[in-house]
Amino acid sequence: MGTDTQARLPVLDRVAEAHNDTLRAFGQPGAWWSGADRLRIVRETRAAPSCQLCQEKARALTANAVQGEHSSSGELPPIAVEAIHGIRNDSGRLTRRWFDDLIDMGLQPEAYVELVGVAASSIIVDTFAQALGTDLPTLPEPAAGTPTFERADDVVEAGAWLPIAAEGRANIVRALGLVPSAVELFFAAFGNSYYMRPDAEFTIGRRQVELIASRVSAVNECFY
Amino acid sequence: MALRESALKAGQAADLNVATGRANGDGNVPHGAFLVALAEAVAQWRWDDIAALREQGIDLLGSQQTSDAILVASGFNGITRVADAIGIQLDQRTDDASADFRDAVGIGAFAPREKWVA
Repeated sequence: MGTDTQARLPVLDRVAEAHNDTLRAFGQPGAWWSGADRLRIVRETRAAPSCQLCQEKARALTANAVQGEHSSSGELPPIAVEAIHGIRNDSGRLTRRWFDDLIDMGLQPEAYVELVGVAASSIIVDTFAQALGTDLPTLPEPAAGTPTFERADDVVEAGAWLPIAAEGRANIVRALGLVPSAVELFFAAFGNSYYMRPDAEFTIGRRQVELIASRVSAVNECFY
Repeated sequence: MALRESALKAGQAADLNVATGRANGDGNVPHGAFLVALAEAVAQWRWDDIAALREQGIDLLGSQQTSDAILVASGFNGITRVADAIGIQLDQRTDDASADFRDAVGIGAFAPREKWVA
């Protein structure tokens, strides 16, 4: 990976701080995963692109047409590995049945929500670093402590695969609402990437921001 | 879709087919073709292409602008995964803003019925 343009691409302090905060948070105990487990989720997300099974699934007409075992470090239960690899490598083809299978096999919905938040946050931070031409950020040491087993009460069924936050201006903001700390983690990482606050601003124009957002969504086959 | 809203506020209609890959060009967005190429490369983690596009971006947009463009693309690489992994539906606000053209530009194809069939 080239680093020749790294020094010439500035990163705003607030962006660097937010991403560093996210990296530190990965090592802290979460709601349903320990700090060590959350770091394992990040490492598995980083390793997922080299999974042979996922590459074969990507070439198949339907992901279910290919069976086998994911390449993984073995640090996490296979069910978590399946979730991470699906989210990282084939998110546009995830289905309710895929999700239901994960839950039937024993993954707690709350643990799944936190896993989604950690994996998606790590994708943001890692993609940004690598796309700037820098190395993957160094992960912290895991902090001691146990999960809080937090679960929000203020959630509703709204047509998603699991309950989402009862309040919020758009479903994407409500999506991780079953585990409030997952909402906090994810939007700390994402917050500088879009107009999440009234005072948000970019050095490119709004139409340019929206075009990038739309094209990335389309490439990822995300309808939202 | 926010692209359409922001384009209309700017008094010029953006060609949404550029965002969905159905058309080429700038789509009535300044440096649109370049931004689409950068967005695609980031979304597909094509690091060598991104390295080349960074160089182009510095000349075309400026350093901070290129960094901001990469920041937006990186963020949407994450948030699309949240939407897809939770199986959220379109909320009324988003649906209202986009209902008249979603199918026309092919976005509906990304929401097959089986995505929500238990």
